[in-house]
Amino acid sequence: MQVAIASGKGGVGKSTITASLLYFLKDRYKLIAVDADAEAPNLGLLLGVEEWEEEREHIGAKVAKINTETCVRCGICYERCPYESIYIDEDGNYIVNELTCEGCNVCGLVCPVPGTITLEQARSGVIRKATTKYGFPIISAQLDVGRPESGKLVTEEKEWAKKLMDELNLEHMIVDSAAGIGCQVIASIGGADLTILIAEPTPASLSDVQRAYKVVQHFRQPAYLIINKADLNPGFTALREWAEAEGIPVIGEVPYDRAIPKSMAMLKPVVEAFPDSPASKALKEIAERIAEEILG
Amino acid sequence: MQIAVSGGKGGTGKSTVAINLAVELARRFKLVLADLDVEAPNDHLLLGVELAGEEPVNQFMPKFDYSKCTKCRKCAEVCEEHAIITLKDGTPFLMPNLCSGCRACEIVCPVPGAILEAFRVIGHTYVTETPYGFTLVTGKLREGEERSMPLVVEAKKRARNLDYELLMVDTAAGTGNTVSKAIEGSKLLIAVTEPTPLGIHDTELILQLGKLMGLKTWVVVNRADLGDVGKVREIAEKYGAEVVAEIPYSENIVRSYVSGRPIVLEDVPEAKIFRELAERVAGFLGGGE
Repeated sequence: MQVAIASGKGGVGKSTITASLLYFLKDRYKLIAVDADAEAPNLGLLLGVEEWEEEREHIGAKVAKINTETCVRCGICYERCPYESIYIDEDGNYIVNELTCEGCNVCGLVCPVPGTITLEQARSGVIRKATTKYGFPIISAQLDVGRPESGKLVTEEKEWAKKLMDELNLEHMIVDSAAGIGCQVIASIGGADLTILIAEPTPASLSDVQRAYKVVQHFRQPAYLIINKADLNPGFTALREWAEAEGIPVIGEVPYDRAIPKSMAMLKPVVEAFPDSPASKALKEIAERIAEEILG
Repeated sequence: MQIAVSGGKGGTGKSTVAINLAVELARRFKLVLADLDVEAPNDHLLLGVELAGEEPVNQFMPKFDYSKCTKCRKCAEVCEEHAIITLKDGTPFLMPNLCSGCRACEIVCPVPGAILEAFRVIGHTYVTETPYGFTLVTGKLREGEERSMPLVVEAKKRARNLDYELLMVDTAAGTGNTVSKAIEGSKLLIAVTEPTPLGIHDTELILQLGKLMGLKTWVVVNRADLGDVGKVREIAEKYGAEVVAEIPYSENIVRSYVSGRPIVLEDVPEAKIFRELAERVAGFLGGGE
């Protein structure tokens, strides 16, 4: 089974909760973890991964290059670039800003001088694999800064993970997705059997999780909800009401607990570092429910 | 003049810093705040305002006039997103979700009128007057759309067309090219971080981006008491950035976050930190540094 964990908003505890759930579920199932937040990957850190066993470069992004020698400075590329990624330097040369170029090649197509603008392959980042000290493997990615295509990195991560599942005879893939609802998240949720949403009782988190849920609905998947920092804002009932109205089962609540940031500083899942803390007890119950009601 | 608030990891407090700085800086500058976290825009919620002035962001999509199409397949060949597929006989079909609207297909099509203009709404931009003396511009990607770049470009354009002295942009999490697009053109980049190992890891990435873009960069450490600020200082120094403020974990901030009222308006110690930071920014922008 493939389970995606998503939230819309960043910082609501996706990776913290994922790491703790993996910690509990590892004894019962043969798992693989995928950190699908290619722009800010943290799950490996939280699971104490210090060294990666294998690393694959992802060459896939394309970037336009302008040959200033043959460029006639007509400015057509500058006018037509859909992303305003061409600028003129102090000497009047037209230059592609590689940090914002999407590689669509429109500039190359409109350039009147053949061969002046070329589309070149660029590295978009790396995908890597490690075996955690808990025994299960993790696949993680790191987008190079300023690169497009984080979604394609995530798709490739999941393909690698699927191969490993076949080779190692693993049962479940747990995908920790990025914040937002764009290509990375779509790649994370697409192909999953179900998504576990994580939200905290704040208006911002509610708004973002509602958006993530719409993505889940696009893929016609069942969704479940975990409420993190559940006691943060006692007057705020809108999150629960929304889940109820949409028929999204709430599989548990985790209280705000200082043990969580402390465990993060120790680079350990909170359930390992502080097993008796209120958050850890709640997470244990949630893991049990996930085992019984979802993974079977 | 433009400044940016960013910071690799999600949930470190970018929006909290952005809105409080905006409220405070609006006393000194005619200010526009652009929420360019188009996948999860929240500044309006934190400011307690309803989004207004909605405009759709229409993205070009090719529409094939099959009576004119010669099935030459050039459109499909040139599509870097592989959004156009062709049947065996060369008849093109579009997969709308993959289309980036770049018009490369239209440019190469040899038959005038074989590719017609169609559009789809990929999101919206909003222009909202806040009760705090500044204008908020928001970009919001439609759910199910993959590409946030066009929304960032459009929202930023809409913000730039307004009358302002200072444009402040609040970016998404991460360090991909939509974040660079949002930051582009800034005189100052303020990276918000947490002093946890994860926060520090992601801060390094945003500092790399700032350096690549040649931006003056400051670091604001949020929830400073939950970790080791010394480590943040070390990493900041490595990239020629400076730690300019430390904000403690605070129930007051959580309450203000939840209630949609900027903390800088309250008479609490945390408000002073934002006021001092705003003063420092104003000093920098006024040529004070």
